[in-house]
Amino acid sequence: MKSSVLSRLRGSVTIVVRGEHLERLINELAKEGIEIWNVRSLPERKMEMNVHLSDYFSLRPLLKRTGCRMSVKRRSGMPFMLARLWRRKIFIAGFLLFIAIMFALSSLVWDIEVQGNDKISTEDVLHAAREEGIYPFQWIFRLQKQDKLSAELTRRLAGTSWVGVSRSGTRITIQVVEATRPKEQELRSPSHLVSSFDAVITHIYAERGQLEVKKHDRVRKGQVLIAGIQGNGYVVAKGEIKGIVWHEYDIEVPVVRKQKVYTGEKKERGYLFFGKTAIQITGYGSPGFAEFQILSELDPLSWRSWKLPVGWMSEKLLETTEIQLKLSARQAKQDGIDRAVRDIYAKHGIESKIVSQKILHEKTDNGKVYMKVLFEVEQNIAEELPIVYDQGE
Amino acid sequence: MSRLSRKIRKWAVDALDLPGDLVFDLPRLTMIGSKQLLIENHRGVVHFSPEELQLELKQGILTVEGAELVIKAIMPEEVIIEGRISGIKYQGVEE
Repeated sequence: MKSSVLSRLRGSVTIVVRGEHLERLINELAKEGIEIWNVRSLPERKMEMNVHLSDYFSLRPLLKRTGCRMSVKRRSGMPFMLARLWRRKIFIAGFLLFIAIMFALSSLVWDIEVQGNDKISTEDVLHAAREEGIYPFQWIFRLQKQDKLSAELTRRLAGTSWVGVSRSGTRITIQVVEATRPKEQELRSPSHLVSSFDAVITHIYAERGQLEVKKHDRVRKGQVLIAGIQGNGYVVAKGEIKGIVWHEYDIEVPVVRKQKVYTGEKKERGYLFFGKTAIQITGYGSPGFAEFQILSELDPLSWRSWKLPVGWMSEKLLETTEIQLKLSARQAKQDGIDRAVRDIYAKHGIESKIVSQKILHEKTDNGKVYMKVLFEVEQNIAEELPIVYDQGE
Repeated sequence: MSRLSRKIRKWAVDALDLPGDLVFDLPRLTMIGSKQLLIENHRGVVHFSPEELQLELKQGILTVEGAELVIKAIMPEEVIIEGRISGIKYQGVEE
């Protein structure tokens, strides 16, 4: 018995020998070079000893020579263990199959997720991915390297600036970054640019079409500024023409302004509500003030995002009072002009410029200031007018 | 082995300070406490029981006495014995 590990691997047998000349047997074994160990003497001329499995079959001639008989008591070591395992081969096969199935299933692509696509449809991305070999139930080890996949997908999918492919477990995430493209221009029928107001032209910038006016020209409403004609064909006239336009405003501003303000007094009322019906629970009695505003708030019973039609409604009654602000004549005038200027900007565009303003007429009557103001505004006056073809008779 | 050659050998052992087991094939016993005993230069087992092991030597017989004796390993000229060894006796060894 040199090394226990080695002898376990080789396998050993514990045998019991019986006979008259046991000592001779031991001597013979030692002489033959057959390794035996743990020799124990038992009563009734018996002996127990351990032999390597490989030596077991060379025991027989020696036993015969010494007139001994032998029986096997115990088998131990790898060869016997394997033999025992082999008897349960179906069980082992099942176990191995289970491991193999687990391994196989975990090396499949189960799920593909597409992220970041807005204009490109998910189906298109998945289709391109399928052609590159990314599809559900594909083997993960058959996928190409991620940088190669992402380069191929970027090439295949038009309108993307980058496509990233990443895998976590059995899920593949395709991250799409769409390229921003210039807006496509809508098709338009040929048109003229005509004046939208009576004006004096101050600025001309013609991009397309035939210019019909000059700077400092006085134009009337509807007059053609840039004709949609180029050569022999019709085109969409394009350009920017600014002119000075006169706007007359009749303004009336009350000198005394009324305003509602909260006094700070308040009263609260509570209701239980069921659908459209509410029952008052708290806050009975008159609020103690005449003018008020009601702020109501619904607080339905809810679970996560579902709201039940039952709940609590609270009402706040806030006392208000009216105060009067008296404006000076100058303030009232400025107020009115400001309002008119804001109106001009709203109607004619924010890039309009007020060149001058003139109060033509002004009077104060019935607590109001009446004014007539003339504004000189430099603004865009070009307006599109589609060209109607003469179809002929 | 003649008387003369034995004398020469004995003289060589004494003069050159050689170990006797090499020259005379004497048994060499290595004992670890009373638990284990290694015997070299034996000539085979004569008798073996849990209480007694008799080994044949070149001259005479070596008897190991004890209880629960086990031959741990045996080779043509070596034997390792384990157990509770209580005594070692030589029989028939000439002076």
